[in-house]
Amino acid sequence: MIAPEESPGAGTRLRMESISKSFGGVTALRDVDFELGPGQIHGLVGENGAGKSTLMKIIAGVHTTYQGRMLVEGREVRFGSARDALDAGIGMVHQELSVVPYLTVAENVYLGKQPTRMGMIDWKTMEKGASAQLRNLGIDVNPRTIIGDLPIGLQQLIELARVLFSGARIIILDEPTSALSPPEVRKLFEVLEGVRQSGRSVIFISHFLDDILSISDMVTVFRNGRRIVTERKANIDKTWVIEQMIGKGHEDIEESYTGAIALSSEPTGTAVLSARDLCFGRAFSNVSFEARAGEVLGIYGFMGCGQIELSRVLFGKLTPNAGALAVNGSDVKLKNTAGARRAGIALVPESRRSMLFYQEPVFKNISISSLGRIAKLWLKPRIEKRISEEQAKDLNIRPPNVANLLGNLSGGNQQKVALAKWLTYRPGVLILSEPTRGMDVGAKDDVVKIVRKLRDEGMAIIVISAEPETVLALADRILVMKKGRIVHEFANETISKDGLLEVA
Amino acid sequence: MTMPAQPSLVKPALRRRAFLRSQMRNIAPFVTLIALVAFFWVASPSFATMDNVANILTQISVAGIMAVGLTFVILCAEIDLSFAAIANAAGIVVAYFTAQASYVNVHNIPLPGGVAIVLAIVASAILGLVNAFGLTVIGLPSFIMTLAMMQIAAGICALLVRGQIVYAVPDLVKELGAGSIGGVPWIVIVLAIFLLVGHIVLTYTRFGRYVYMVGGNREAAEYSGVNVNRVLAAVLVISAVCAGVAGMLGVAHFGSAQQNEFDGYLLDAIAAVVVGGTSLFGGRGGIGNTIIGLCVLGVLNNGLDHVQIDSFLKILIRGLILLAALIINVYAQNLRSGAVQEAE
Repeated sequence: MIAPEESPGAGTRLRMESISKSFGGVTALRDVDFELGPGQIHGLVGENGAGKSTLMKIIAGVHTTYQGRMLVEGREVRFGSARDALDAGIGMVHQELSVVPYLTVAENVYLGKQPTRMGMIDWKTMEKGASAQLRNLGIDVNPRTIIGDLPIGLQQLIELARVLFSGARIIILDEPTSALSPPEVRKLFEVLEGVRQSGRSVIFISHFLDDILSISDMVTVFRNGRRIVTERKANIDKTWVIEQMIGKGHEDIEESYTGAIALSSEPTGTAVLSARDLCFGRAFSNVSFEARAGEVLGIYGFMGCGQIELSRVLFGKLTPNAGALAVNGSDVKLKNTAGARRAGIALVPESRRSMLFYQEPVFKNISISSLGRIAKLWLKPRIEKRISEEQAKDLNIRPPNVANLLGNLSGGNQQKVALAKWLTYRPGVLILSEPTRGMDVGAKDDVVKIVRKLRDEGMAIIVISAEPETVLALADRILVMKKGRIVHEFANETISKDGLLEVA
Repeated sequence: MTMPAQPSLVKPALRRRAFLRSQMRNIAPFVTLIALVAFFWVASPSFATMDNVANILTQISVAGIMAVGLTFVILCAEIDLSFAAIANAAGIVVAYFTAQASYVNVHNIPLPGGVAIVLAIVASAILGLVNAFGLTVIGLPSFIMTLAMMQIAAGICALLVRGQIVYAVPDLVKELGAGSIGGVPWIVIVLAIFLLVGHIVLTYTRFGRYVYMVGGNREAAEYSGVNVNRVLAAVLVISAVCAGVAGMLGVAHFGSAQQNEFDGYLLDAIAAVVVGGTSLFGGRGGIGNTIIGLCVLGVLNNGLDHVQIDSFLKILIRGLILLAALIINVYAQNLRSGAVQEAE
């Protein structure tokens, strides 16, 4: 296995004392203490925005201004850059891998510090070295393979190997298992076991509580920028962790769906959109469901579980590898987004930027999707403006002057314009991806009202989100996606956020 | 919802500056044009005459017809490098299907004039379709696809005339390219019609709106359910057909068709569109800009002939002016996005 590290790992490897950090008035971390021992795998859990990532970015030298003290091996440090953190022995493997896909395994392992001979890269030494080092970790791979051709799990292990070889004694893993299949997860854990035995320390951030609980020695829970609790793994279970994460509503006034929510779906509605065994690359497979008229179908899953790709396939932006789509009972093959629009399927993607024209006036943004109905050949700006004004009034878009450039509107109003575009078109199925992301409470309420109204008018709506609150607030029926598959359906029953997190 | 709803609170001076910045791409070419005209007016007594104005208009007409089609392509944030070669091909095709004088040593196929014209236009449309196929179906960048097409069209020309020069074109083409009515050259009228139709299509039709939207934010157009590929295919065909017409009239205008006849127009037409202020990043500009760009180029080319200047230096001067226009184009884009961000 890996050679044990030089320095005797006595005491604490990393110690954070009363760390606070705020971004322009918004507090991200409040008075957080954190400790990491040698040979320890420390699991970090918490909802999106709980403060995990902020703390990790401070440790990795990305955020350099904060209050509090940080000690590495007993010495106080203050990093000025990510480079400083690396030099102090702190390495990070991000969720988005940073391997260079067109280079070989050996080149990736030695990236930035290739061995040279007389100014030329010493390929032999490099390949031999990479091969030996990877074997030490129990990874058997030809060092000449182009890394992009390998499965994601193996690429991730190789990136982990690179971080280890760079001399890191503290390794931060951000959502390492989200894209991995079960055997790949087992392999990763085997490698991490070796890392633990070598005396190095690992911080393991994940939404997958099962994964956290099976590999960590210690688990720390974050909520609303605070460290809530740190506990030995042996003393806890999944239900307890979820309770700590959600906080049973006694901390802040923030609305949390801890209570039971009754789902009432109308099984009488006809299936407007049905998917059968849809597969798309590594993102998802065998996804089947029906979206019914007059019902809001929620699809919940952690980031990267394939729900983004699913929304693109449903809207004809991506072509599925297998499976079929039917609209109102007849099969459709979507060649492009225009085909989806004609079939009555509409998507509002999670990022406003990707569906709005910032340098054009509001009315051109609203009318673009319905232009074929308003004007066959000659544009009719007066009708466009009239229709847009109606939408602006209905959705309470401010300022209501539709000749304004879209770029001059506030974020919430831009989001409403994105909705207005499809409301003008009136699709049979409306897919909303993260419809309330980054919105204030008032704007969220507006969205909930609009969605309810559309549902009551008989539209089939699919809400896709990685935020449990969004799905719980909007959906009449909920599908849970996990690592590219639909693993559970909640219908006609009472559920809570705990229940939702439990299956995800 | 942090934006105040009362625009009147924003200082008028600030608003005026923001407006000027956003209009930079339209103002700069116009100022350039006025400055050039003023300069040559003073520098040469023979420049500012009615005859010379007619000269300039005639000189820009072939490049102008090409520039109309190219404006559509550049508005979509794509590029066409093949239009000059396609113009060459169309000119040679129309001559190939016309009876030539006995001393012309080309084994051609004489057909009625109308048929020859239709064949030439169809040929250029097909070449445009091939461009469109490469771009939208295969997924090649337009830069690469049209670079290849430039060579393909040149190859077609070479095969048809085999190094010879042909002279005869159908009467209609000859009249439109070289004739005039009431003192106004037909080719200038044709240019005016192309510019007018181009402007109407871009400004008043649904297709024109799609062109601007695809150029402004292609991803957003796709997420709005616009068939982006069809729009891109259409602009490449439009560009090729405009080039075809320009090529036919150009052959009549110059009196002969031969290999590489329009190579110089590749740069001229691109320069006209870009100097006029149509954004290379798409979505901004239009035929109005192209008209100004054509005038700038026409005045510059013509004016340099009216002043005492080393004729070899002219090439360098043209290059420098084009560079300046490109800098303004990119700079205007930055100013504009800066203005939008400020407002956000």
